[in-house]
Amino acid sequence: MISDRIKSNLSREFRESLLAKVGLVLLVAILIMGLFAPVLATHNPHTTGYFDDDGNAYPPMGVSYDSHQWVDGERVTYTAEPSADHYLGTNNIGQDVFSRLLFGARTSLMVGVFGTGLAVLIGVPFGLVSGYYGGRVDDAMMRVADIMLAFPSLVLALALIGVMGSLTIPIPDPFVFAGVADGMPASTPLPGTVTLVVGLVTWVWFARVARGEAMSIRNEEYVKAARSLGANDREILLKHVLPNSLTPVIVLATIQVAAIILLESSLSYLGFSGTTLSWGYEIQQGQDYLRTAWWVSTVPGIGIVLSVISINLLGDWLRDSLDPNIEGEGGGAG
Amino acid sequence: MSFGKFLLKRSLQGLVVIWGVVTVLFGLRAITPGDPVNLIVDPAVDQATRDRIREELGLDQPIYVQYVDYLQDLLVGDLGYSYQSSRPVTTMVLERVPATLELAVAATVIALVIAIPLGVISGTRRNEPADYGATSFSLVGISTPNFWLGIMLILLLAVQIDIFPTGRRPVAFHDALWTFLTTFYVGDLLTWLHHIILPAVTLGTYFTALITRLTRSGMLDEYGKPYVTATEAKGIPGVLIRYKHVLRNTMIPIITVLGLQFGTLLGGAVVTETVFSWPGLGLRLIDGINNLDWPLIQGIIIFIGISYVVINIAVDAIYAKLNPRVIDE
Repeated sequence: MISDRIKSNLSREFRESLLAKVGLVLLVAILIMGLFAPVLATHNPHTTGYFDDDGNAYPPMGVSYDSHQWVDGERVTYTAEPSADHYLGTNNIGQDVFSRLLFGARTSLMVGVFGTGLAVLIGVPFGLVSGYYGGRVDDAMMRVADIMLAFPSLVLALALIGVMGSLTIPIPDPFVFAGVADGMPASTPLPGTVTLVVGLVTWVWFARVARGEAMSIRNEEYVKAARSLGANDREILLKHVLPNSLTPVIVLATIQVAAIILLESSLSYLGFSGTTLSWGYEIQQGQDYLRTAWWVSTVPGIGIVLSVISINLLGDWLRDSLDPNIEGEGGGAG
Repeated sequence: MSFGKFLLKRSLQGLVVIWGVVTVLFGLRAITPGDPVNLIVDPAVDQATRDRIREELGLDQPIYVQYVDYLQDLLVGDLGYSYQSSRPVTTMVLERVPATLELAVAATVIALVIAIPLGVISGTRRNEPADYGATSFSLVGISTPNFWLGIMLILLLAVQIDIFPTGRRPVAFHDALWTFLTTFYVGDLLTWLHHIILPAVTLGTYFTALITRLTRSGMLDEYGKPYVTATEAKGIPGVLIRYKHVLRNTMIPIITVLGLQFGTLLGGAVVTETVFSWPGLGLRLIDGINNLDWPLIQGIIIFIGISYVVINIAVDAIYAKLNPRVIDE
């Protein structure tokens, strides 16, 4: 597990690294944004329509946002500019961009963390078994990994979504039930298919790292000692190989959260999200209104970039202090 | 092991991977819920017609017969017919390859032209302002989703300042080149260039950032080695050392990473093509998925998988030529 030497290394590197601190502050801010979205948001993110300073309702009575209206060849929208009521304006159907930014952070972080968790659960056992047994088992298992790698993650994710369709799992909102978030949606939708799919397309990176670790650990003296004392393979894998290979897995998991946030945003930009409370979806919505409402696409993009940068900075810090030679997708854009 | 044997071994492994890709896609298509007949004709059509279509598609056969038929068709390059348009998928894939290839090549060229000098400067002037600039750029470049970057470029350079088009590809590169070679008319080539710049920058930024990082760390590693000190002691100018000796050794891992990242490049192309309505494979893949047009989805992804495998075998071959020690590992 994590030894005292590694701990002191981590804290020394952290004291010295300004970037790691910047990353941590940013990430904590984004976590608070996402976690407390129902409390911090000024509007229900689903509510369409707004009032101007004179109290006039938009859209006017009898006009629907859904029916695309054209006047003199221009698409008519009722997008509010940033104001005291709507800090970051509204989107093309009058929803509050600021509130949707907060809820979008929730979706991104949930998909990032759960998706990475799934990838670890599949990839690490796969890699450990492959590296520990070696030989033909390893050859066969690594061919499977090669097949996975021949698919670009985004492309395979799209194909899997084609198979599964868009499933959403509603997650109850603790703040709403505690009665502190009036007028907020009672649950946040977790895009279930997307979470499953991002785990299924990225586990192979964990398998490769775990395999490398298992290959070097299996020849260590303490493993030989354990074996000569009568420990079987299962005990050795669980008690010795797994704990000692965790460090690079933790580093990779950090970076993969960032990679998965990017992947989720790409999928929802392409229209395969399962939830509308997603930064990528919001950017796609705003693309048609760049001329009249630049903020709709711009704001959520800044959210993505800052989250990914903060996670990558922390990942760099972990990698520098623990210094395992690992490769991974990194923050693979797209 | 000789180089020929090494290449043969890698090619056989590649074939296994391609077989795996093909089989995974067959499996995905087979487990997709819903009746493909409904995607081809109106669901209200009579049972006799449905049965006839089912028979034409071979869907009345047991699954293993379908699988064998599918593999046999693939061997002769037959990817079947699109459910949506009834056109041969092989044609539908091949006609879209040039657009995606243009985009991928342009993005790679932009990435190499910017990233290598930037990485060299950054790596040789560690902790100077130029280095901080280059490392910040690569951090932001790696962390920016390319579709958002594309939209921001459209917002700034096509909407606010109207100097680039918002998308589309009015002319193919090979047509523009042909026009130029036969009539010396350069207009089509310029139109092509004008339209590809924003998409290529969008797709290339991630790679520019990545290669800058790799070049920088490669330069830092190489500079610690004794041969650099030796060449410096011989009085060879610094520029020559940097670009001729150190950079050349740094390029080997960069080529390997480029091969491995080829998939990311194609994945990025799917998104970039959507942003700019660039008529390549990616845009067609999205169409296919929206319509659950499995023959088309299969065809495009098989094509992507095969290109990935072939490119990586080529990279391994180059690597083995440059550094014969890997053959025996």
